[in-house]
Amino acid sequence: MTSGHAERVPISDDVLRQYVGGSGLGARLLLGSDLDSCVGPAARKNQDLTPDPLSPEAPLIFAFSALVGSPLTTSAKFAVVSRSPLTGRFNDSLASSGFAIAGKQAGCDAIVIVGRAPVLSVLVIDNGNVRLEPADDVAGESCPVTEETLRARLGHDFRIASIGPAGERAVLYATISHDGRHAGRGGSGAVLGSKNIKAIAVRGTQRVEWAHPRELTELSRDLSKRSFGPATAKYRELGTAANLLTFNRFGTLPTRNFQQGTFEEAPNLSPEQLRTEHSRTRASCVACTIGCEHIYSLGNGGVRIEYENLFALGSLCGVSDQAAVLRASQRCDELGIDTISAGGTIAFAMECVERGLLDAPWLTFGSGDAVLKAIDLIGRREGIGALLAEGSRRAAESIGQGSIAFAPQVKGMEIPGYEPRGLQTMALGFAVGARGADHNRSGAYDVDFSDKVDRRNATLDSVRHAIDTEDRAALMDSLILCKFLRRVLEDFYGESAAMLRAVTGWDVTADELYETAKRIVATKRQVNLLAGWTPAEDTLPDRFFNSPLPNDPEASLSREKLQELVAEYHRQRGW
Amino acid sequence: MPHAIIELPAFAFTGCGAAGRYRHTMFVEFLGIPRERAGISEMELDAETLGQVLGELSARCPGLSELITSDGLHPSLAANLNGAVFVKSLDTRLGGDDRLLILSADAGG
Repeated sequence: MTSGHAERVPISDDVLRQYVGGSGLGARLLLGSDLDSCVGPAARKNQDLTPDPLSPEAPLIFAFSALVGSPLTTSAKFAVVSRSPLTGRFNDSLASSGFAIAGKQAGCDAIVIVGRAPVLSVLVIDNGNVRLEPADDVAGESCPVTEETLRARLGHDFRIASIGPAGERAVLYATISHDGRHAGRGGSGAVLGSKNIKAIAVRGTQRVEWAHPRELTELSRDLSKRSFGPATAKYRELGTAANLLTFNRFGTLPTRNFQQGTFEEAPNLSPEQLRTEHSRTRASCVACTIGCEHIYSLGNGGVRIEYENLFALGSLCGVSDQAAVLRASQRCDELGIDTISAGGTIAFAMECVERGLLDAPWLTFGSGDAVLKAIDLIGRREGIGALLAEGSRRAAESIGQGSIAFAPQVKGMEIPGYEPRGLQTMALGFAVGARGADHNRSGAYDVDFSDKVDRRNATLDSVRHAIDTEDRAALMDSLILCKFLRRVLEDFYGESAAMLRAVTGWDVTADELYETAKRIVATKRQVNLLAGWTPAEDTLPDRFFNSPLPNDPEASLSREKLQELVAEYHRQRGW
Repeated sequence: MPHAIIELPAFAFTGCGAAGRYRHTMFVEFLGIPRERAGISEMELDAETLGQVLGELSARCPGLSELITSDGLHPSLAANLNGAVFVKSLDTRLGGDDRLLILSADAGG
């Protein structure tokens, strides 16, 4: 961006086959080293991974999926990969829809951005032509307004990924938004903002070729048919918000900054209750047959509601006011802020206020107005918002007085809505996650909600299950397919290999993909090692050790036990 | 849709769960999709094993019947005993006052 130079560089088939696309390809490109033959000068500079993730030379990579542009359901996805300004570690955040297809149709497997534009700009990729345009007219605008304005300016066949005011102001958990969805975690929006890029507009008209179109059509038809079945009914009928009452029933719904595992007012935030008071419509990403998005009416508009919004801006902050939680979610979407990190950081601040560590008497558990006020201050980095825009770990380091013990984060990433003491395989998944605490990179909660383990008493046998879910997630995030298909794919590696064969023509097998998944996980770790990772980071906050959940004394986790699980995880990984 | 808690009198039903055949009165709680399908949030019935419970549910709740086979629950659903242990075996013994939770197996998202 600094020089205004753009270069098209081929990526070898070997690299594409070894890393597939999405997160895997992004991780490989981030490493940069020895890719001289297939990646241009920009990526070659990436071998030093220690500079500030918000510095101009730090790369930001949009990696498209190997399957994108095919008729396979849920395949219209892209990954945004960089070092995270929130964690300092590897970060890959995913989003969906037309931007992915446009990128692929523009002839790109990935877009690598380095440098810093001289003024706030729009990066326009129009098939083979790349240029910067001024973004004065959208400076400070919300994500939806930015998209609308730029499509009106450039043409409605452009697909736009943009940042909101939070990304422009380097909120460390700012998102990149496209079509109302967000590459949400880890602060990709701040990285794009640090390059003075408000938005990327892509138009592609090239046809995506498939190696075996007839086979692909049959696979796609079969997968779509299965995607309508019971395995995805939850997403279609209630959305992920269905988790709320289930988790509350199991005592694993994080409440008031993880001080409790049940929220007495949870029923008020349930989708079953929300739909009695707000009209609801369903939507889906481009090329998706599941349709998991549930959009609730709010004022003159609507807001997409997921479990993570409800938990983070609701129970975690002790808020049961439906309107406040919906508005807070909507406001995060407009500003371009990750709802999980926003809620986690605000809940942490509320506990600091409760303990007398922070002077903000208005910021109290249960106050929807306080959550809304805090979000706006974060988006503007004003007042206490400047502190909270740094995330809970840095805020705790600033506040001191032992507050790091209850900052709800791992490696700086705020913990999603899964109480680690009651979901101990997930606790391990959180602790070892390359990008910090994350439910999308470790699906270990699936194991906890099964007869494979005792969710409140993890053993060394839990480790192999955590590894298996992490491997599967790594491959899904590289193909990329939506994780809501995970129970539809009965032979995950075998079916994935068949899809890749049909699209690419590679003679890839299930066994090969099994190894590919492990390679991708190892590559993320390699990025972290180069960025300064140490084993001590693979842990949880002190809060979770030796203090059982108030409503569930059996849900207890010791530091020694987690350390034992982590050590076994590293041993089984061969690290 | 608000969810009524309906306590169904055992004598109102015939079949394997009819009153007096089994010793244990236990509760079934429905969460998420199972609640949508059952149309209620909770049910009381007499049964001694998981298999007997599922047989009863299949008979009493038509909306659930397509998700219950002779092998047990459809893989998209899971059963948990008292919020503690997930159970699959149809021979799993149930005690008096046990609470069986039926939920979507896909817990996260």
